[in-house]
Amino acid sequence: MPLHVLIILVAAGIAGIVGLLHLLGLSEPARLADEDAARAAWAAEFPDDPALAVIVSHDRGAALVETQRGRGIVWPVGADTTARYLIGARARRTRSGVRIDLPDFTAPHVHLRLDAREADRWPALLEDTA
Amino acid sequence: MRDQLTYPDIVQMAVPLFVAAILAEVAWIAVKGRGGRYETRDAMTSLVMGAGNVTSGILLGFIAYGFFMALWRITPLDLGTGWWIVALCFVLDDLRYYWVHRFGHRVRWVWASHVNHHSSQHYNLTTALRQTWTGPFTFMMVVRAPLILLGFHPAMVLFCGGLNLIYQFWIHTEAIGKTPRWFEAVMNTPSHHRVHHGRNARYLDANYAGVFIIWDKLFGTFVPELEEERVDYGLVHNLGTFNPLRVAFHEWVAIFRDITRPGLTWRDRLAYCVKPPGWSHDGTRETTDQIKRRHVAQNPDTAGTPGLPAPGSAE
Ligand SMILES: [Zn+2]
Ligand SMILES: [Zn+2]
Repeated sequence: MPLHVLIILVAAGIAGIVGLLHLLGLSEPARLADEDAARAAWAAEFPDDPALAVIVSHDRGAALVETQRGRGIVWPVGADTTARYLIGARARRTRSGVRIDLPDFTAPHVHLRLDAREADRWPALLEDTA
Repeated sequence: MRDQLTYPDIVQMAVPLFVAAILAEVAWIAVKGRGGRYETRDAMTSLVMGAGNVTSGILLGFIAYGFFMALWRITPLDLGTGWWIVALCFVLDDLRYYWVHRFGHRVRWVWASHVNHHSSQHYNLTTALRQTWTGPFTFMMVVRAPLILLGFHPAMVLFCGGLNLIYQFWIHTEAIGKTPRWFEAVMNTPSHHRVHHGRNARYLDANYAGVFIIWDKLFGTFVPELEEERVDYGLVHNLGTFNPLRVAFHEWVAIFRDITRPGLTWRDRLAYCVKPPGWSHDGTRETTDQIKRRHVAQNPDTAGTPGLPAPGSAE
């Protein structure tokens, strides 16, 4: 197959599939239904260090957890979630909430959508463990 | 010596088929409301990883091919090009695939390349295309050396490898439950390969097969998909990014960081490269064996069931 045909085919294929998925409404991020959902999402990553206390953001898009080993964050990765400890995290306010920078190549930045009250309060909580 | 033998590049030729099948699966799920999940950015990352894999094959393919042609020049054996030789080559290359894949999960250096195939929390046809960009750096082409030295032409071996990859495409789906019993017994199927993509303790390091599941049954790594335990797809520690560059290189970066830590012995540095993923010099991480043992300790009733160690076993 000539290379330019392959390139066109691949580019059109990717664009078509991605466009279709978006139009089908499949770009919605995961939501944490309640505190238990946040606990379960944390436990999926760190099963041997359960969440003792949980704060779910107002839009159910993220949760702060407190564990025996320190604080952590649960957030959506597409339609699923992941979680990390906040050791070494740096948080700063953005227009839509807070951005967390983590010293982790596989999760370098987390963008949280927070309301004004949360955005005032969360950065201190996020950096507490450093 | 037939240096010039060529076969069609079937993986490239299959691209339209891949696109059509993905569209069909998306339509099936949309209409039926079951049979799998798609998410836009996850699918995009998988597709870009697939495109990058083909690109890396075009750019780096000469490394493996040069190695194979050098072997072909020194071997006195030539099995010819009969169809039964191609068929035998396909079966033996599938055995080769089994071992490369098993090393891919048990040796961190090889896992660094393979990990990206497991980095999605979804399991659909796009996941099949989430392939490595760094294959040649694992040096796993040496596992193909015996085939070439036995007299299978390098072009034939690579053709069979391409067929193998295409076969594995259709099994990355939740739209198919179980196939007929005889087929499940011999062939790798959606059910068997779902297990392989599981992060459940029970399903870790199981079902390395490419085309024939018999290798797992032969070498003791087969775990059936259990109705009572749904597969949880992804990595033990799931990624927090869709960036294809991070997906492609994160474990290489992690290895680099580990081996350049101050205060380690050279033995530890080597172990960070060649021991199973999760090994650490201070025991602060978990290997899959440790995860399975911990799971059994916390759920004693599961001891000795498929994929989990017997009660009180050291392994
Ligand atoms: Zn694998
Ligand atoms: Zn797979």
